[in-house]
Amino acid sequence: MGRVIVSTGRGGAGKSTLVALASKYLNSPKLLIDLDPDESLADMLGVDLNEKGKKTVSSALCDAIEQNKRVGRSGYNLLSDVLQPVLYRGAEFDLIALGTKFTVGCYCAPDAVLKDFIPSLVKDYDEVLVDSPAGLEHFNRKVVVDIDDLFVVLDPSEKSIKHIERVKDITRELKVGYNQLYLIGNYRFTEETEEYLRSAGEAYLGKIDYDPNVKRYNLEGRSLLELPGDSPAALSVKRILAKAGYRITDGNLASESSQKIAKSSPLRETGR
Amino acid sequence: MMARKIVSTGRGGAGKSTFVALASKYLKPPTLLIDLDPDLSLADMLGLDFHKEGKRTVCEALYDVIEKRKSNISPTITTHDLMESLLWSDCLYEGKRIDLISLGTKLTEGCLCAPDELLRRTIPKLAKNYTNVVVDSPAGVEHLNRNIVSDINDLFVLCDPSDKSLKHIPRIKEIINQVGIRYGHFYLVANHECSEEAERYLQNTGETYLGKMEYDARLEQYNLEGKSLLELSEDSPACLSARRILTKAGYQIGS
Repeated sequence: MGRVIVSTGRGGAGKSTLVALASKYLNSPKLLIDLDPDESLADMLGVDLNEKGKKTVSSALCDAIEQNKRVGRSGYNLLSDVLQPVLYRGAEFDLIALGTKFTVGCYCAPDAVLKDFIPSLVKDYDEVLVDSPAGLEHFNRKVVVDIDDLFVVLDPSEKSIKHIERVKDITRELKVGYNQLYLIGNYRFTEETEEYLRSAGEAYLGKIDYDPNVKRYNLEGRSLLELPGDSPAALSVKRILAKAGYRITDGNLASESSQKIAKSSPLRETGR
Repeated sequence: MMARKIVSTGRGGAGKSTFVALASKYLKPPTLLIDLDPDLSLADMLGLDFHKEGKRTVCEALYDVIEKRKSNISPTITTHDLMESLLWSDCLYEGKRIDLISLGTKLTEGCLCAPDELLRRTIPKLAKNYTNVVVDSPAGVEHLNRNIVSDINDLFVLCDPSDKSLKHIPRIKEIINQVGIRYGHFYLVANHECSEEAERYLQNTGETYLGKMEYDARLEQYNLEGKSLLELSEDSPACLSARRILTKAGYQIGS
């Protein structure tokens, strides 16, 4: 049974950066899920889903519906119509992206597909990392109801401090369970403003240090997994995970061992 | 009178609410601001305590109505009509120059389609009473899929310096076109983190680029302390940027 980790926070706080960098250090096999319709996690990890012949959940669902209209069928097989086309299997990690939809209406349908799949997917992995869209609506939808670690990524603003309370209210009211809630500051915190997080009454894991390379890579659309080994951001994430009690595998060692799994397990065909 | 409808959108943290809060200073009153973000912040940024003013968020009012309906066997008014009247009486904060409606946080299961739909249907009626209606969107793209404002005059897209922001631009254009949202202008605005290099990327997108919101140390400080951005002095870099951007978009700046 895999550990379920969810990142959440206000927009621009650094949720996806945290998830992308954390993926380097977590045990394999691991699954990353990008719940943001304004998808970006795949890009940040240097995976071109389209090129790999994979769809997003939104587009797979749309295609299944269109196909049904053509053949006069109703309903669809979630596993063959939706899950197989969306699950990208890589050497380092597997990945599913919710994706953008171009029709009227909210994202309840694609979210519901993931909500149904996550409990069974969790069994196949050591770690499942879910990157949430900005804001709170994903909690209202209860996409992930059984969370081990909830990482709340924050920027230095009063809105962020209020956001912590809102997350706690909404998870309690909706019975979204988690074992541990952790606060993480983004690079814009100073020694002085970090005090706000230390005194927030929650477990504070530290901040992600400023890293000019992360800015540059994000601007150029380069994979954050290519960051040099001494990258301040990557080292911060490593430190943060260690502080949360994670057994850290070194970035490089992790990739070798997971490649072994990739070769030996029938479950994991690499890419295309 | 039919208001000009202005919508801010963009990825998380790009500066949508900051832009809306500062722009509200310079728009010709009366102005109605609508905060569509359930992680509400616009009221705070304007120094308004909604509850102290005796007002409720749309989600709070709607939740109350639904609870009361459960015990009322033969209602004489539809939930929608009742909510619409509550929207005017309970949810509309009326200030001197600026009025405000906040969507608010929902603490029950399910998405925000119901409160969003209520606003979608009511905005055209509300708009008749204002010179400008400014909608501050939540981060991301879902509000566009919901087609909440289907008839936009000016769409301001706030951008941070990242490849993600550049990909966001064609993505929202496609949603807008497919969903059938009409707009007069599609404007790009850079946030304070954009370097000259990042600005060049925005200039080369083929969209109308209006300039950037300059870095303003005091604004950061105000956001940290939860102080109203309306108290920023007129000659602060952020205020001057908002003014310059609106002027460039052809707005007559009120004094």
